[in-house]
Amino acid sequence: MGTLLQQNGLKPGMQPEEMNLTAGEAVTAIHRTYVEAGSRIIYTNTFGANAHKLAPTGLSPEDVIPAAVKLAKAATQGTDALVALDIGPLGELLEPMGTLTFEEAYALFAQMAKAGAAAGADLAVIETMTDLYEAKAALLAVKENTNLPVLVTMSFEATGRTFTGCTLAAMAHTLEGLGADAIGINCSLGPVQAAPFIRELAKHTTLPIIAKPNAGLPNPVDGSYDLTPAQYAQAMLDCVEAGATLLGGCCGTSPDYLRALRDALASRQPAARAAEKNSFVCSPTRTVIVDGVRVIGERINPTGKKRLKQALLEEDLDYVASLAVEQMDAGADILDVNVGMPGVDEVTLLPKVVKKLQSVVPLPLQLDTTNPAALEAALRVYNGKAAVNSVNGSEESLQTVLPIVKKYGASVVGLCMDEKGLPATAEERIAIARRIQASANAIGIPDEDLWIDCLALTVSAQQEQAAETLKALRTIRYDMGLNTVLGVSNISFGLPNRPLITQTFMVQALHCGLTLPIINPNQKELMDAIAAHRVLCCEDKQCAAYVARFAQEMPATAQNAGTSLSLEESIYRGLKKEASEAANKLLAEGAETGMSLVESRLIPSLDKVGTDYESGRLFLPQLLGAAQAAQAVFEVIRAAMSEGGETPVEKGKLVIATVKGDIHDIGKNIVKTVLENYGYKVIDLGRDVPPEVIVEAVTREGIRLVGLSALMTTTLPAMEETIHQLNALDNPPAIMVGGAVVTPDYAEKLGVRYAADARQAAEVTKAILG
Amino acid sequence: MKERINEVLRYLGAGKAAGTSAESSDAQAAVSALRQSAQQTLSQLETQIIPKQLYRIFPLQHEADGTIVLLDAAHQPVFTLTGQLAASLLRDCHQAVLLLATLGAPFDALLRTQQARDMAQAAILDACGNVLVEEACDRIEQDIRKQLPGLYLTDRFSPGYGDLPLSLQPAILQALDATRQAGVHLSASLLMNPSKTVTAIVGLSHLPQGAKIRGCAYCNLRNTCTIRKDGKRCDSL
Repeated sequence: MGTLLQQNGLKPGMQPEEMNLTAGEAVTAIHRTYVEAGSRIIYTNTFGANAHKLAPTGLSPEDVIPAAVKLAKAATQGTDALVALDIGPLGELLEPMGTLTFEEAYALFAQMAKAGAAAGADLAVIETMTDLYEAKAALLAVKENTNLPVLVTMSFEATGRTFTGCTLAAMAHTLEGLGADAIGINCSLGPVQAAPFIRELAKHTTLPIIAKPNAGLPNPVDGSYDLTPAQYAQAMLDCVEAGATLLGGCCGTSPDYLRALRDALASRQPAARAAEKNSFVCSPTRTVIVDGVRVIGERINPTGKKRLKQALLEEDLDYVASLAVEQMDAGADILDVNVGMPGVDEVTLLPKVVKKLQSVVPLPLQLDTTNPAALEAALRVYNGKAAVNSVNGSEESLQTVLPIVKKYGASVVGLCMDEKGLPATAEERIAIARRIQASANAIGIPDEDLWIDCLALTVSAQQEQAAETLKALRTIRYDMGLNTVLGVSNISFGLPNRPLITQTFMVQALHCGLTLPIINPNQKELMDAIAAHRVLCCEDKQCAAYVARFAQEMPATAQNAGTSLSLEESIYRGLKKEASEAANKLLAEGAETGMSLVESRLIPSLDKVGTDYESGRLFLPQLLGAAQAAQAVFEVIRAAMSEGGETPVEKGKLVIATVKGDIHDIGKNIVKTVLENYGYKVIDLGRDVPPEVIVEAVTREGIRLVGLSALMTTTLPAMEETIHQLNALDNPPAIMVGGAVVTPDYAEKLGVRYAADARQAAEVTKAILG
Repeated sequence: MKERINEVLRYLGAGKAAGTSAESSDAQAAVSALRQSAQQTLSQLETQIIPKQLYRIFPLQHEADGTIVLLDAAHQPVFTLTGQLAASLLRDCHQAVLLLATLGAPFDALLRTQQARDMAQAAILDACGNVLVEEACDRIEQDIRKQLPGLYLTDRFSPGYGDLPLSLQPAILQALDATRQAGVHLSASLLMNPSKTVTAIVGLSHLPQGAKIRGCAYCNLRNTCTIRKDGKRCDSL
């Protein structure tokens, strides 16, 4: 289409969609050549007809799309060819890579979908997507605003991933779950390279598969493609063999290619297909197939966790993210996410936490809430196929939760309890599991997507219940064939040596068919037991993972043994664990109070690190390492002080932000890390922050110091505007600036303080806040 | 290997200490710890990230007023290069290469994870990313040298360098079809995304080309450059 539009008067710099208004006859003529070549579906000339891309032309989707549909319809008149509303990428990256929000993307796509449906398009196609999140926004927009069938194709690299790292399997499960009518690939190299991609998709979806590759590979020098129409058509037969049933062409193809393709397909039958049936959850870049024991990390749950409660109330999402990374590093496969507690609005907080976690860890998430509105809000913004914790056997729960799970294509945990509570016998729990299974299947949720939790009770209170749980587990796993979830930590509550009871029960449960233990993966004994279980049930072939796990561990133990560093030395060397151990020891011995420890040891240590950094004896990573070790000490002191009734250390607060237009923020994050460890409370407004948002935060929080960073000459005006607005306040705060292009002269000219690096930012902060 | 690790150290502000042996033992210990981290990070990064590289060769047309126009295969103008830097570098050139290298969105995802895990390691990862993307540009130049053995290459220069305006960025990305071919986007403030992305121009000539830039006078960072403050130059480290 693009090439043909150029031949028909499309000028460089002009948007192809403008031709719908200025050269309608030419557009219809192009469409007609495809219909005559044998195309059964033709795409409207609306690939970039979203309000964002059209903005420079002064046109709206409502101007362009009805015209485009009409022109395509004119070309199909008298034939059975269908007109598809074509929807391409928005041309701007979505969060967390870019700054366009999921909700904004959805609105842009919804506008296109409505215009296309109103104009009479027969179906919609979403194509050339490289970001699964954007594809999801578009798919939801079409499904929620029209009744059109909808096809989705994405564009993959030779690695089998898109530019953003999305895998074919993640695409297939996510989009099928969301209700696409057919999926596949377009663009993405030539037909030869596309065939294996189609084969991979066929393993993961039951939907019809689309193959619409380029005319071979491009020549890097002149951009031309290397296959002739005949070669192309021949190679496309591999895609048919692999399972594709909707075929076409992308870059470098023309009506001649389509004609050759139609002729080659004339005598072909669709290939036989058989998708694998798996319990499957994913993010765009990480897939988890539950074909053995998979660990669900339980740490992101405020129950009984003071520090997390405080973080959730303050929306300190960096802390929540650090819990996620810690569990991933400890070997969790999936993370349970629960933010329910008094004082928190789950409907707004859960989606925020989901977005934050997905920006930091690739692990799939299990959304854990009893609030259906929060569940829907979180599933909506989740990128990939999530798990939901949970539905139970009560009619009310089945009727509210299952439709949401189905709409967003998630997996769901079914709890073996109902409105009457938790039954005492295994038989009653199994009966509830069967009821949940029947309801789930009836609404279209297959067995693979239903995981059953038979619930573990505290053994110190109801000792005979442990055996009932195990009995139910056995039937649900081995007779009903479902995957099973169990929060095992509860079992040992109230007993001494809890880890021993928890571990023993978990091993029993694994033996009875538990596949998805919900545990704290930082508890080494539990992860070790799972590693051993994987060996004994032949899941860990040749014991490879087990050997690697313990081979790695031995030297580490030897290294740690017998060394005991001072607090000062630990901070200087950036050793978090050693620093917090030393602090704990000093406090326990009564050698220091929280406050004296800060004054006489922590601050002097940080000052020594600062001086050595300035004189070139230490460097940025070491400055940060020391700051992080100091942070660990602060956590210890905070905990001790709140127990001992001392007032927590609080040295004043400041706001920091990267100015509007700037999206790279590692420099700002470095400053934040260092300042926090001098005891300042840092309110981090993030990147690409408009002046108004900064002014609002300063006013609301009564802030006396603002730190701004700018990276590009093009964003300095935004920094100036922010300074200008802050200075216009009744009681303007002090301002410090930094960033690649900011100079001392520039700062002086604007009448603000300059900080060349994190260390200088700490000096300036000290001078102003004390 | 040593060379690239020195590059990483330079980005981390430890280039000077790494280059001298007479420093205090404290500094030497710090430098050697960094070396070790940098080495580990680079090796790991290379198993996780495959840089994406693009280039196209364009004929040049030298105008009477000194501006230089890039032409497409049909000898239609693509865009115009203005300014002293381009004029002096491309004086003897009949063609120019537009090139782009990017570590892609997956690197930025790794960097976000590492910032949540450990800011100190994140600073090292960030520096390693800079080195890898520059190396990808070097590889494109080597590839061109191999493909066009009779031609000489000028220094590589980029928008924002000297007086070559940043405002050329949209035209360069469009000429390379960079969004579709490499997933590179440009913000309204002309910031490229993914973050570790470099675009550059290299002239091709029948005459040998001496090194002309990499001089501080041309560089936008000359006022804030930490290397220059130490009395050194980035091309002589």
